[in-house]
Amino acid sequence: MYYVADVDEKNCAKYNCKQCVLFCPEPNTLMYHDSKHVAWVNYSRCKGCAICVYVCSDLLKRNCIQMVMMTAGE
Amino acid sequence: MGLEYVRISPGFEKYMPKDYVDLVQYGQFGKQIDVQQLGQFKELVEEHPMCAGCFMAYFIRIFYASLPKPEDTIVIGTAGCARLALSQAAVPFIYGNYGDTNAVASGLKRALSIRFPDKEKDVVVIAGDGGLMDIGFGMTMHSWFRREKFTTIMVDNEVYGNTGGQESGMTPKGVQLKMAPKGKQFDKINAAELAKVSGCVYVAKLAPTNPKRIAKTVRRAILAARHFGPTFIHAYTSCNIEYSIPTEKVLEDARKREKQDFGFYEWMTDEVKEFFEEIEKGQEVKA
Repeated sequence: MYYVADVDEKNCAKYNCKQCVLFCPEPNTLMYHDSKHVAWVNYSRCKGCAICVYVCSDLLKRNCIQMVMMTAGE
Repeated sequence: MGLEYVRISPGFEKYMPKDYVDLVQYGQFGKQIDVQQLGQFKELVEEHPMCAGCFMAYFIRIFYASLPKPEDTIVIGTAGCARLALSQAAVPFIYGNYGDTNAVASGLKRALSIRFPDKEKDVVVIAGDGGLMDIGFGMTMHSWFRREKFTTIMVDNEVYGNTGGQESGMTPKGVQLKMAPKGKQFDKINAAELAKVSGCVYVAKLAPTNPKRIAKTVRRAILAARHFGPTFIHAYTSCNIEYSIPTEKVLEDARKREKQDFGFYEWMTDEVKEFFEEIEKGQEVKA
C-alpha cells in the first residue's frame, strides 16, 4: 500500500488552472488532459510528496486533489 | 547528438520502446516548448530515484523543459544527488569525477567548437554545492577566469545529502546538521558575487518558486554562454531529508527562503543585456 495523489476531475474541470502540474517534482507524473482540461495522475509514478495538495488547497484554496491509499495493481 | 540521431529509422517504430517512440513523437526534440506546456508533452527526463518531494528534482525537471536545443546539448554532472535524475534524461550526460566538472566541460566545449564549427552545441554543468564550491572550487573558478563558454548551474541544497549530512561551504551559519552537531561556524559562501568578479557574463540566483522565471533564466544563461562567456546560476534546492522539511511543505520553504536570502537576482554585462534586448524584442518576456 502506498500514498498517491488523486484529482477530483469534476471539481478540477471548473478552473482550467494547471498550477499543480507545474509544481510536481516528478516528470510525466501529474499530467494535463488537453480536451477535458483537467489534471490527472499517473499513479504508478507518483511518489506521494503532496506538493500538489499544498498548491491546490493551501495556495489556491481549490481543494481538488487528495492523497489516497492505493494497493499495487489497483 | 543531433536531430538525425534522435529520429527512428522508418519501419523500426514498432520495435522501439514505447517511451522512446513517445519522446520522438510528443517530446521536445526540434521544437520550441514553453514551460507552461508541461504535462502536455513527453518530458526528456524519465523516472528517477530521487526522494519524494525533492526540490532539486523539481528544478532539474524545469531545467530540461527549458533547454533551447536539447538535441544539441550535453550535460555534465558529478557525484551528488543531482546526477540521479540527470542520468535518466534523453540528453547526453557525462559523469565527471568529484570536482572536475568544469575542467571536463572546458575541454568538451573546445572540442565541440573544433569538431562542429558551424553548429551551436551547448554544454551545461549541473552540480551541487559540494561539487562546485567546495571540492571543485579551484576548477570552477579557473574555468571562469579562462572565460570558457559554457553554463554552470549550482543546485544548492546546503548540505552533503548523499553521505549523511555533513556541512558544506554553502550551509548557512549556525545550522546544525546530523554530522555537524556543533553548528556551522562560518558564513555561507557568496557564490553569485564570486562569479561576478571571476569573469562570468551572466549571473543569476533564484529559489524555484516560479517555473516561468526558472525557464527564462536557464535559457538566458545558455544563450549568453554560446556567444559571450561563462554564465552561472545559483539555485536553492532544499534537501527535505537532511533539513527535515515535510514533503508537502517544500514549496512553502522555498517561498520563505525567497523572501529571506534567495530573492531573485540577475546580473549581466552590458553587451549581454544588449543581446537579450535584441533577441527578446517582440517576444513575451514577463516572468
